[in-house]
Amino acid sequence: MKLGFSPEEELFRKECADWLNAEMAGEFRDIRGITKLTASPERRKEWEQRLGEARWGCIGWPESWGGRNATLAQQVIFAEEYARAGVPGRVNHIGIELAGPTILAFGTEEQKQRFLPDIAAGKTIFCQGFSEPGAGSDLASVRTKGRLEGGEWVVNGQKIWTSLAHISDWIFVVTRTEEGTKGPKGLTFLMMPIDQPGIEIRGITQINGDAEFNETFFTDARCAADSMIGAVGEGWKIAMGLLAFERGVSTLGQQMGFRNELDEIIAAARANGAAQDPLIRQRIARAEIGLRLMRYGALRMLSNTDHSKIDGAALTYKIQWATWRRSLGELAMDVLGQAGEVTDGSTYEWGTLPNLFLYSRADTIYGGTNQIQRNLIAERGLGMPREPRGDI
Amino acid sequence: MDFRFSDDQLTLAESVRDYLAGTHGPEVLRRLDAEGNRDPAIWQGLADMGLTGLLVPEAQGGLGMGLVEAALIAAECGRACLAEPLVDSAFVGVPWLVARGQTDGLDEVVAGTRRIAVPHPINPWLADSEGAALTSVDPLRNLAVAEATEADDLLLNVGALMSAAQLVGLSDAMLSQAVEYAKVRTQFGQPVGAFQGLKHQLASCSVAIEFAKPVVWRAAQALQDGLPSAPVHVSHAKLAASDAAMLTAETAIQVHGAMGYTYEVDLHFWMKRSWALCGAWGDRAFHYHRVEEALLGGAQPIGPEHTFA
Ligand SMILES: Cc1cc2nc3c(=O)[nH]c(=O)nc-3n(C[C@H](O)[C@H](O)[C@H](O)COP(=O)(O)OP(=O)(O)OC[C@H]3O[C@@H](n4cnc5c(N)ncnc54)[C@H](O)[C@@H]3O)c2cc1C
Repeated sequence: MKLGFSPEEELFRKECADWLNAEMAGEFRDIRGITKLTASPERRKEWEQRLGEARWGCIGWPESWGGRNATLAQQVIFAEEYARAGVPGRVNHIGIELAGPTILAFGTEEQKQRFLPDIAAGKTIFCQGFSEPGAGSDLASVRTKGRLEGGEWVVNGQKIWTSLAHISDWIFVVTRTEEGTKGPKGLTFLMMPIDQPGIEIRGITQINGDAEFNETFFTDARCAADSMIGAVGEGWKIAMGLLAFERGVSTLGQQMGFRNELDEIIAAARANGAAQDPLIRQRIARAEIGLRLMRYGALRMLSNTDHSKIDGAALTYKIQWATWRRSLGELAMDVLGQAGEVTDGSTYEWGTLPNLFLYSRADTIYGGTNQIQRNLIAERGLGMPREPRGDI
Repeated sequence: MDFRFSDDQLTLAESVRDYLAGTHGPEVLRRLDAEGNRDPAIWQGLADMGLTGLLVPEAQGGLGMGLVEAALIAAECGRACLAEPLVDSAFVGVPWLVARGQTDGLDEVVAGTRRIAVPHPINPWLADSEGAALTSVDPLRNLAVAEATEADDLLLNVGALMSAAQLVGLSDAMLSQAVEYAKVRTQFGQPVGAFQGLKHQLASCSVAIEFAKPVVWRAAQALQDGLPSAPVHVSHAKLAASDAAMLTAETAIQVHGAMGYTYEVDLHFWMKRSWALCGAWGDRAFHYHRVEEALLGGAQPIGPEHTFA
């Protein structure tokens, strides 16, 4: 165990901070402080490219693919400084945190050449086409069909809840490529360009009035035969490998976002007097402790380099942060009191804290619901008997 | 001692429930949301049922009923997520006016041509009142800024009680939406409601709601009878109902999965109304404070003989 940062690492911190602050004070000052996921997509794509040009886009990646081969400590530092400088979240987070690492782990040399430099350069934005109307928690029941025809994959079906599909360039999809199969067998993992006649995207309005996610329809949509990761029929293995990356270093950036949110709540409580209420004080203290738990939990999880088996830290991570943040949303509302329930604007647009309350309703749902997480912890982690399930 | 309602009270509540179920379903909420929130025909229908005059004395043409009946009906308004300011005007504004002997113009209230909106410092935004408009998280709520000149306790207590009553109705409705969804949504080859992980959460909501209800009815009776302890009863009710509603809203969203996070599933109207009402007429901190003060400050007597008071 070695905690804390070395003098060299502190120098690296200064380098990150200087660069990020200069960008956020200069060319990109218009997007500084944005927390809304759907705000200013075009400018934020430009920001992705700026990060890429300066090699700050995917610092943990190997240098040959546009990264910096950064150590865990350096990635922690970058995430901290990124948040401190008020830089908006990454519109390409699916690309840099899920698609990229999956291609790196399972892709062919050609696929790496084709995609990784562009993802690192912020030029290829990815979205995730896993869920379907009938396949949410039960992801293995996907029905979107893929078949090989004339050297191309032809895909028909529907995905849903595809976040940011409307601003993405590529989508990766889990398709059923073996007729008559059920469950995890017979699935194939494909990457498809979005801008084609066979793909249609329709926004779904969320609870806060925004439209971050979409329905994505595939009607004879096409991609090249070699646009598949892994072999035919290996889709489930790749999808599960990809989901493991969800517990990767992206959690650091996410936690820094949480830090900012808690700080904003503390500032609001000080400003409106809620900080005098003993109940609120205690909940703020508890939120702070929760953040610490997550912080050290994340470092423990990320320090583990043996990914051959899922350890307790990795299995318990999602439910911990999701539940923590959901109650953070409630704390935010209790601190704001009635003032959190109104805006003086005439549009249905919400400030950071009311939006935090609304966004955080989804945290315990996406990326595996709390119930699914508990099942995994109990069944895979603790080895308890599986709950009876229906006939799939 | 008898905690049952009379047949008349039950029949009244049931008829309002049936009326709202028949005329004010989720499709109406969607239409209102798209078309500017208010439809005079809905208001007229409520007036025709006598609801605008429920608490107006018979001498002014009203039904002359009490806060217990009004609370029962407020719960039905919550269940239907009624957008019109019936509760605010007829069950909060009217009893306040009547208590001060200001009965002029109440016949117009009965007829539905006049509405009452009274500000209070704890509640500076009023439903469907005059003043600068605000946007509420509840898309069907028309709020306006209203400067309060006095802090009347009765007004505050009736406002809080009626919010609590609506909250239990809202909770009931969210719970049944979640239960229905859990029965029809299948994953892993069975309805998700068959998984104990979901079932138990919904059962916990039911516990919270069932225990909130009698506290609300008790508070209504206390306020109606003018008991000195009424404010504390009202705070109990507001807290229990807020907790039940927030738990049920959170759970109902969870049960709906990503669907529950959309504007396209009806649930969000109920969830947002709940959120708005939890903060209205004194938030949690305010009502906790009142209970603490009463209990620790000695205003509320303690001891075995006061247990069921
Ligand atoms: C904001 C947001 C963004 C998203 N972005 C994407 C995206 O970009 N790409 C993508 O592919 N998907 C995305 N999703 C979808 C997400 O992955 C699914 O919502 C999630 O997997 C749950 O599926 P579902 O919504 O169909 O809920 P369901 O699976 O229908 O679940 C309904 C309820 O049943 C419970 N349940 C289900 N199975 C069990 C069980 N075995 N035991 C106990 N309880 C159970 C669930 O916990 C839940 O409470 C997103 C979702 C949200 C909310």
